[in-house]
Amino acid sequence: MAAPFPHLSVCSAYSMRFGTAFPRALVSRAVEHGMDILALTDRDGLYGAIKHAHACAEARISAVFGVNLALDALPPLPGFGVPGLDLPGRRRAPAPRTGPDAEDRVTVLARAKGWSRLCRLVTSAHYAGERGTPKVTRELIGEWAGGRDDGHGGDHGFGAEDGLVVLLGPRSDVGRAVAERRDEHARMLLGLWRAAVPGVVIELVDQYGYRDATTAVRMLGLAESMGVPAVLTNAVRYLDPVDHQVGDVLDAARQLVPLHPRHLDRTTSHAYLKGTKEMRQVANKVCGADQERVSRLLFTTRRLAEACSMNPEELLALRSDPPNLHLPEIGRDPVPLLRHRVEDGLISRGLDRSGDARRRLRDEMAIIERKRLSGYFIAVAGITDMIRGMGIRCAIRGSGAGSLVNYLIGIGEVNPLDHALLMERFLSEGRVGLPDIDVDVESARRLDCYKAIFERYGEARVACVSMMETYRARSAIRDVAGAMGLPPHEIDAIAKAFPHIRAKQITASLHDLPELRDSRLGEAGLDRVFRLAERLDGLPRHIAMHPCGVLIGNAGLHDRTPVERSLLDFPMSQFDKDDVEEAGLLKLDVLGVRMQSAMAYALSEIKRVDDVVVALDTQRGEDTGIQYVPHDDQDTYDMICASRTLGCFQIESPGQRELVAKLEPRTLHDLIVDISLFRPGPVNSDMVTPYLEARHGWRRPYYPHERLREALKETHGVVVFHEQVLRIIEVMTGRDLSFAEKLRRTLDTSEGRERVRKTFVPMAKANGFDDTAVERAWQVLDAFGAFGFCKAHAAAFALPTYQSAWLKRHHAAAFFAGVLTHEPGMYPPRVIIDEARQCGVKILPLDINKSGKDWRVERLGLRVRPAALEGASSPVRREFKVGEIGKGYALRVPFSAVKGVSEAEVERMVAGQPYTSLADFWDRARPSRPTIERIVQVGGLDALHDLQPGGPRWRPGVLTRRDLIAQVGALERASSIGVRSGPRASRRYTARPARVAEPPSVQLPLGFTEHLPPGELPEMTETEMVEAELEILGIDISRHVISFHDELLDALGVVRSRDLLKQRNGAEVLVAGVKVATQTPAVRSGQRVIFTTLDDSTGPIDLTFFESVQGRCAATVFGSWLMLARGVVRRTGTRAVSMRAVDCWNLVDLERLWRAEGIEAVRALLSQAPEQVAGVGGRKIEYANGFRLSPYSDLGPAVDNPPRQLWHASPGSSGPTAA
Amino acid sequence: MSRLYGDPIEVWTRDGEPTQFVWRDRLYLVRRVLDHWVVAREWWKTSEGDPGERKFWRVEASPGREVGSYELRYDTAGNAWLLLRAWD
Repeated sequence: MAAPFPHLSVCSAYSMRFGTAFPRALVSRAVEHGMDILALTDRDGLYGAIKHAHACAEARISAVFGVNLALDALPPLPGFGVPGLDLPGRRRAPAPRTGPDAEDRVTVLARAKGWSRLCRLVTSAHYAGERGTPKVTRELIGEWAGGRDDGHGGDHGFGAEDGLVVLLGPRSDVGRAVAERRDEHARMLLGLWRAAVPGVVIELVDQYGYRDATTAVRMLGLAESMGVPAVLTNAVRYLDPVDHQVGDVLDAARQLVPLHPRHLDRTTSHAYLKGTKEMRQVANKVCGADQERVSRLLFTTRRLAEACSMNPEELLALRSDPPNLHLPEIGRDPVPLLRHRVEDGLISRGLDRSGDARRRLRDEMAIIERKRLSGYFIAVAGITDMIRGMGIRCAIRGSGAGSLVNYLIGIGEVNPLDHALLMERFLSEGRVGLPDIDVDVESARRLDCYKAIFERYGEARVACVSMMETYRARSAIRDVAGAMGLPPHEIDAIAKAFPHIRAKQITASLHDLPELRDSRLGEAGLDRVFRLAERLDGLPRHIAMHPCGVLIGNAGLHDRTPVERSLLDFPMSQFDKDDVEEAGLLKLDVLGVRMQSAMAYALSEIKRVDDVVVALDTQRGEDTGIQYVPHDDQDTYDMICASRTLGCFQIESPGQRELVAKLEPRTLHDLIVDISLFRPGPVNSDMVTPYLEARHGWRRPYYPHERLREALKETHGVVVFHEQVLRIIEVMTGRDLSFAEKLRRTLDTSEGRERVRKTFVPMAKANGFDDTAVERAWQVLDAFGAFGFCKAHAAAFALPTYQSAWLKRHHAAAFFAGVLTHEPGMYPPRVIIDEARQCGVKILPLDINKSGKDWRVERLGLRVRPAALEGASSPVRREFKVGEIGKGYALRVPFSAVKGVSEAEVERMVAGQPYTSLADFWDRARPSRPTIERIVQVGGLDALHDLQPGGPRWRPGVLTRRDLIAQVGALERASSIGVRSGPRASRRYTARPARVAEPPSVQLPLGFTEHLPPGELPEMTETEMVEAELEILGIDISRHVISFHDELLDALGVVRSRDLLKQRNGAEVLVAGVKVATQTPAVRSGQRVIFTTLDDSTGPIDLTFFESVQGRCAATVFGSWLMLARGVVRRTGTRAVSMRAVDCWNLVDLERLWRAEGIEAVRALLSQAPEQVAGVGGRKIEYANGFRLSPYSDLGPAVDNPPRQLWHASPGSSGPTAA
Repeated sequence: MSRLYGDPIEVWTRDGEPTQFVWRDRLYLVRRVLDHWVVAREWWKTSEGDPGERKFWRVEASPGREVGSYELRYDTAGNAWLLLRAWD
C-alpha cells in the first residue's frame, strides 16, 4: 500500500511524567518515516498542541489533535457485593492503585473542525475532576462530541465534521472487558458508547506484550460484529525503544512508588514511533495474515486520520494574514472610544499644545488601529484604573512604557517624550508578535488584582497563563533516586549537594565543580541514578501558574484554549506564554513586585507614626500637608553616590553598589543608564568603561559620524539602549523606525548579523554616507549585537529605584520596616537590620505589649518634623552622613518573625494587647507552648517583667527568662487540669483589663498551682541570647554575631569594613564576617566567578573569588556561614572598594583552633602556602562576538541556611549552655 | 496437560520467526505460530549493560505426525533459546 501509516495515538513529553519525547522530535521522526499526518494525544490536556502545530507546520505535514482522558470510575452500585444481587456485567474486582489497570482511559480526537469542542471538553474534564486529575464520563464526552452525522452515516461513523471521535483502546473500559473475556459486558459497554457519542472507533494496539495480540484480535472481532470501525495505533510513548527505561522511571515517579513490574505501564519496549513497515507487521499479526482484513484495518486508520487532520497553521493564528487575533470585548466600538480617551489624556497630561505629542500620537494610533488593537488598550486601561482604584500601587514596566498612548490613557506614569523612548520597541509595523503590556503591582496584593479582573470580566473571558516546570538536576535526582528505592534522607542529601543546574550537567559538574569534587559523590556508586537523571533533563514535570500573565479575551476564549484550575483555583490556560502569543491571544502581565508592597507599607507607616502623607508618584504640588517626591532631590543622590543603596530596588547588589559609586548618578536619566549598563550584554561588551570615562570627562565622546551625535549624545557616544540602535539604523539607512526594529531583532545571531550587514551597508552607502563612516557605524552595531537594554524598560525600572532610594534617605525607619516586612531584595533580613542600625535606626526587641503583626516603626523621644517638609528650599546642603538618616526612630521586632508562629496566634496576640503578666498573656492570647517559650527566650516579656538578661547567671530572688519558661510549664499543667489562674473569665479581647499602675508583681498570679521561686534557674548569657535570637528570629538583635569573635579578629589584625576605604589599593588584608549573599553571575571572561558579601557589623565587604582560587575555596565559600578571608583591596571609586579573595577559612574552625592551641597555631595555619587544586572545569559557552560564558554561571548556588549552633560555646566567656 | 522443561535447544529462524528446532535429539517442524510476545527485563535489577528482552513464541510443531504446542523463549542479551513448556 502506498499511503504511509498515520499514528493516531501519540503521547509526547507534555503528558507529564509519562511521555519522553518532545513534539518536535516526534514530528521529525514521522517525517523521516515518510509520514504525512501525525497526531498528538497527550494525557489530560493540550499542553503541547501549539508546539505540535508549530512543528507540523514547519515540516509541512498535517496535524491531528486529541487528548487522552481518564474515565471516571463508576460509583459502587447498589447491591454491589451482596450475593445474588450482582449482575453479570458489574462483577469486577476493585482496580489496583497503580499500574496500567489503575484507571480506564480513552483517547478523544478532534475532527478537522473540532478544535473548539476539544478545548471545551478538556476544560470540562478538568472542572469535573479534582484539580490536576481530570475525569470524563461517557455523557460528558457525548455533550461535546457534536451532532450525529448527516442522517445516512455519510461520514463512516466518525461523527460530524466539527465533532469529536472517541477511540476505545485496550486501556478503555471496553478493551478491559474484552481482555477479561467478558464479551457480553464489552458489547453492552460499546453499545452505551455508541448511544452517547456519534463517533466511536475501536483502537487496536499490539505492543508485543503478553496477551496483547489476543486482546487485539478479540477487539477486532467485536468491532466487526457490531459494525464499528476499527483502527490500528501503537499508543506511542517513546521516540526510540531505549527510552523505555526513562518511561519506567516516570511511571514510578508519577505514582510515587519504587520500580516494580506491577507499577509499570508497559511490559515491552515497543511503544515507540514505528515506521509504516513495522506497523504493517503489527497489522499482519493482529489480523492473522488475512490480507483483506489487514488492508481494511489500515484503510480505516488512514481514513480516520484524514477525517481528523487539519492544517496546523489554523491554530497558529499569528501567522495568518491578517493575524486572526482574539480580541477583548468592551461592549462597543473600541476605535472611537480609544480616540476619545487619548484626546482627554492629552489635556489632562498637559500635552494638548505639544506638536511633538500630537505627531507621535498620530503615528501610534495609526498602527494601533491598523492592527485592530484599540480594544486591547481600552481593556488594559480599564484594568489598571481598577487596580489603582483599589488603592494598590501599580506601575508600567517594559517596552510598553515607550508608548505615548499608554501614558495618555493612564496605563503608565512614564512620559516617553521626556526620556526619548520609542514606540517601535513595543509595537511596530514589521513586528510579528503581539504587544505585551506589563504592569507591576504590589506583590502582597497581586492575587487581589487577579480576583478583581476575574470578577469584572468573568471566568469565560479571562484566564491566567501557565508555565511548565521542567526537570532540573535536583528534581531529576530526587525522582530517579526515589524510583530506585534509595532512602529519603540520602536522596535529600544528594540532591541538595548540587547547585541549581540543568539535569544534563550532572555528570560534568561532578568533575568540574570543586565543591562537588570534594563531596566525592561521583564515587558513591550512583552512576546509574545520575545517568538516568540526565535523561530526564528538560522534561515537563508539572504545570504551574505563570507568575504574571493574564489572558484578556472575549466569550469565545474557551474555544481557543483549554483551561484548567490552578493551585489557587484561578482558571489557567494550558498554554504557556509563547503558545498564547502563537495562538493569537492577547495578554496583560500583572507582575507582583515586592518592592511596591514594601513601599506601600512604608507609606502607611509614615502616615501612622508621623502623620505625613507622602505622594510618592507626584513630583510637586500645592498642598502643604503632603510631602512630594521631586526627581531631583540631591540628598537622595548623595546617598546613592555614597553607595549606601542596600535595600533599594535594582541597585543593591555588590556589583551595582560598585557601579553607582563610579557612575555617581545625579538625575533620573543617570539611573536609567546605570540600570541599563548593569546587564550581561553591556558588561560583557565592555561598554561600562568607555561610558564612565566619557562621562567623567577623561576621554572625548566618540561618534562614528556627526549625524549620529543626536542619537548617541545622551550616553556620551556609547550605545547603551535598543532605542539608540534603532536611531542609528534610521539615520544611516533613511528608513523608518519599524524597519530599524526589524533589523535590530535580527542582530541576535551571528548569521543574523551577517544578513543585517548585507542590508545595512549598501543602504547606508546609498544614503550618502562614505565608506569609513558606514564601516565605523557597522562596527558599533556589530559589537552591540543584540545586547543592551530597552530604554523604556530601564526608565520604568528607574522610577521605583529612585522612589525606594528617596524613601530610604528621608524615611529610613519606615523604609526598612517595609523592606523587612515584604523582603523584596537579595539579602536576608539580618543584613537589612544591620544596614538600618548603621543608618541610625534602633532595633528594639520583641515585646508582647508593643510588637505588631509586621515590623513597626517607633519614634524615640519627641517628634521631629522631617527636614524635607520644613524646607526643601533650604539652600545649605549638609554633607551626607549615613548614621543620621534614621536618627530618632526605631524598629520593633514583630510577632510574625517568631519561628513557627501561626497567623491565628499572631492575630490573637495583637488583639489582646496590652497584657499585665505572663499568665495574662497565656490566658488571653492562647499561644501554643513552643511559641510562648520562644517568645520568652527572645525577650518578649523582658520589659513586662523587668528582666535583665546578660551579666551574672545566678541571681537569687531575681526573676529570669528561664524562670518564666518554667512557669509556662506550670501554667500549661494548670490549664490542663482545669485550674484557672487569675481573672480569665472571658475571651473578650476588647474588654481590656485596667492597667495596673505599679510594676507587675514578680510573683505571678499562679493561684494555688505550683510555687516557683524567682531566680531558681540561671539567666541566659549573651551568647545564649544571640543564639536564641538567631534560631527563633533568624536575626541577631541584641548583639552582632561577629562581636563574639572580636578578640580573635583583633589578635589577627583583621580589617573592618568601615576601615577598608583607608587601605591603599593592592594591599593584602584579612577580613571577616557573616556571609550574607553569594552569586555566580555571567561575567565577561567566561569564568565562573563567585561574588560573596560578608557583613561584619560595620558594613558590607564584597569579595570576588576567581576560578584560580576556587579549587581550595569553593567548598568553604558555599559551606560556611562565618568566614575569614584574605584578599587584595581594589579601589573602584572615590568611596567604593571591593576585594579580590586569595584564600578563605571557616571562622568557627579558626576560633576552635585558637581556643585549643593559641594564636600562633592560627597564624601558622593562615600563613600556610595555599595548595594548588584544580579549578573549575567545563567547556565555556562561546558567543560569536568573543564573549564567553561559564556553563555554571548565573545559577543559584547550593547555599545552606545558617547552622543552628553558630559557634561553639567558648568556656572563657559564657560557660555551659545547658539550662 | 502442559509440562515445564527449560531445556536449551537449537532453533532455525526465518524473518525472526522460528521454523524448526531440535529438542532431545528430535527435529521439530514449526507448523504455525500461535502467539508471540516480548517481555522486557527488570533492567534496574541487572548489572550495567544491555539487559535485553525475552521473546516468547507459542508454536504448533511436530517431530513426526503427532502435533503438539510448544513455548520457546529467546533471550536477546544471551542469544540463547530455551524450550519452556510443551503441551501434548
